[in-house]
Amino acid sequence: MEVKDFDTKEKNTWCPGCPNMGINQAVKLALAELVNENKIKTKDIAISAGIGCHAKIYDYINVSGFYGLHGRAIPVALGIKMGNPELTVLGFGGDGDTYAEGMAHFVHNCKHNANITMLVHNNQTFSLTTGQATPTSEKGFIGASTPSGKQEDPINPIALALASGATFVARSYALDPVHLKETIKRAIEHKGFSFVEILQPCIIFHNTIPYFKEHIYRLEGNDIQDFSKAFELSGEWDYSFNNDKRVSIGVFYEIKKSTFEDQWIRLGRPCYLMDRKLDWQKLAGEFK
Amino acid sequence: MKKTILIGGEAGKGSAVTSRFIGKIFCRLGYYVFNYRNYPSLIRGGHNFNVLEISENPVYSQGEKYDIILALDQKTIDLHQKNLKEEGFILGGADLQSAKLKAIDMEGIIKKLEGPRILENDVLIGWLFRYFGVEEKFLFQEAEKEFGDNSAIIQKAIKEGYGMAQETEKIKKNGDGNYLISGNEGISAGALSAGLDVYLAYPMTPATAVLHYLAKKEKEYNIIVSQLENEIAVANAALGASFTGAKVMVGTSGGGFALMTEAISLSGISELPLVVYLSQRTGPATGVPTYTAQGDLKFAVNAGHGEFPKVVVAPGDAQEAILRTEESFYLSAKYRIPVILMGDKHLGESDYTFKELKNSSLSKERFLLNNPPEDYRSYKITDSGVSPAAVPGQGPVVRATSYEHDEYGHTIEDAETTKKMNEKRIAKNKGIKKEVEKLNPVMLYGKGKNLIIGWGSTKGAIVDALPRLKDFRFLQISYIVPFPKDMVKEEIEKSDRVILVENNVTGLMGDIITEQTGLEIKEKILRYDGRPLTADYILKAVKK
Repeated sequence: MEVKDFDTKEKNTWCPGCPNMGINQAVKLALAELVNENKIKTKDIAISAGIGCHAKIYDYINVSGFYGLHGRAIPVALGIKMGNPELTVLGFGGDGDTYAEGMAHFVHNCKHNANITMLVHNNQTFSLTTGQATPTSEKGFIGASTPSGKQEDPINPIALALASGATFVARSYALDPVHLKETIKRAIEHKGFSFVEILQPCIIFHNTIPYFKEHIYRLEGNDIQDFSKAFELSGEWDYSFNNDKRVSIGVFYEIKKSTFEDQWIRLGRPCYLMDRKLDWQKLAGEFK
Repeated sequence: MKKTILIGGEAGKGSAVTSRFIGKIFCRLGYYVFNYRNYPSLIRGGHNFNVLEISENPVYSQGEKYDIILALDQKTIDLHQKNLKEEGFILGGADLQSAKLKAIDMEGIIKKLEGPRILENDVLIGWLFRYFGVEEKFLFQEAEKEFGDNSAIIQKAIKEGYGMAQETEKIKKNGDGNYLISGNEGISAGALSAGLDVYLAYPMTPATAVLHYLAKKEKEYNIIVSQLENEIAVANAALGASFTGAKVMVGTSGGGFALMTEAISLSGISELPLVVYLSQRTGPATGVPTYTAQGDLKFAVNAGHGEFPKVVVAPGDAQEAILRTEESFYLSAKYRIPVILMGDKHLGESDYTFKELKNSSLSKERFLLNNPPEDYRSYKITDSGVSPAAVPGQGPVVRATSYEHDEYGHTIEDAETTKKMNEKRIAKNKGIKKEVEKLNPVMLYGKGKNLIIGWGSTKGAIVDALPRLKDFRFLQISYIVPFPKDMVKEEIEKSDRVILVENNVTGLMGDIITEQTGLEIKEKILRYDGRPLTADYILKAVKK
């Protein structure tokens, strides 16, 4: 498999130069490599997406997919996994999508630990609705709905995922395709809920490229099994752009835990292949 | 033989279990039982009661006047004695006060048994069945069947009560044993019979019993039952599972249904099958959580933004709950649409008796292609509007989307495709209508030139009232979408007097009838105090 095998003929409607293009490439490269390494099968890949700029990726990757509703990529991904645990399930969300509309799903799925990979395109703004603040926009962010600047500090999704019990927590950068591809591969290979936050500057409404260029560094040698250290590391950057703080990318945390699917003895088989023959008299007999 | 027995006490003191157990024993003896539950939203204390209607002949509702009151506390007597029949009596502990009381030395018995206070229930059961001349041995067997390992002490308590009573009204065996089943059990059994794979829910009275029942059956039937973080997650995850070809159902009441409506719309455009069990309770908002109503009819009919085909069906008793649930799965899978299966607290939590329990002969297939072609189109335009379905994992790329799309499921915004896809989806209505016509969308009971119209759980009270009403037929409307308008119109037009009976404030079915047929029903019997209709209530109102 090559990247182009995952291409579709659909017209790309991201803005010219949008870092989402980098994510699109990195995902395809990660998938192609995993297929070539015999770790996954193309026909068994299923993706879900929410609504927002990120979700356009549904049209650009030639795999089975479910373009859901705003904020709901995660429950849809969970449902796909329930229905067919053999599938390699990738969810795509935006920051407004995942942390505003879909926050409950995010927190609970970090706990559920179903074997799905959640990639959040974090541009720290609602862009498709023309630039409003999201939960990860920095304090003071000026947008159409916050003309005098956002009043609150942003949430920290890395810290939140850790606190919520996620078993794989990572951050990468849309403009570092090699790092991003490697991170996505690791996330897919992790058995459990893998959360990858992808910093994805919006070149129209929130151009953070200059800051990231100067402040991003790759994590190396950090103890990814030490929760306290991971949590401490997650606080290094507070999602603001005026404190000259370093922004780490890489895996913060990874541990093994039983998955959501492990709860069910029979799971391992897709539902659609189950031939259900019910003994009606036996079932009805219960009420006699 | 016809008896109405009320069993009351504080929450947690056993009145619901006792009532069902007594009902089961009568069923086993071939009698017909209707068991009505009334309880407030609290866990301990308060006042719960059940009304058991017992008869040699089929019965589908509870009476308002009691032959016997089994009192677990003084409150039961204070609240319900006024409805005790002249010749009726109350059975309870010697500490209770009433001129009608047959007192049992509960304190003494409980002390002797060295058991928990809740055994009072079983003492009452023993006494009651001695009164009716039922063999002690039979009661012990039933107790063992019902309570298993706990039955030894229960049997002892039954024996104590049995020993204190005298055989007074000996009842005969009334044929073979009957089935006793609640509406919620009917929904659950119907779902299992339809081939359910996944049931998702967030707890909400009065739908919760389905979640509990199916969760208990998870291993036996190899199904997935899961409680997610909220109804939004429930409905969206259900569609995720449906996308993979799983047969899914979600269950909730009005408040949870409100949260699910975005997914009903999503089911409509993504064309993914979804069965939604909506068990109504008294609204609006939190309303009266553990009481009944039929106030969500138009909400269900109109649920989901945008226009898309859907089905709304309302069973009238537990047997119908089984069949209508199976029909819901069938229609949903075949036409790839959302189906809303409407019940309410009264249907869901009441126990009904049947001689036989039937399941449906409808196909249980998944309606999936065995070998989808490589150039598979998820939204292929066909005359029927139904695109042959494939699922991820079979081979080709399969797509589902909330966005308007072309045949492959790719996003579009152009006028021509938008129009075509709307027409494709709406075209399904034709096939659905034909199909529903074969599924008894309306049922007619009795004979007469006057007509009562009802839907859902009011069926029981209406059917029980009918023999006592002169010259009345009863038209039960079970399919609301698609609406069987010709049949309804015809019945209304050939009747002299037409009365609408509903458990709501404004007569919602009346509005739908007017919208669909142009006919207005002026005479309405509406009950909206959270309590179900009874035959007496209807009789009084009709005669006014």
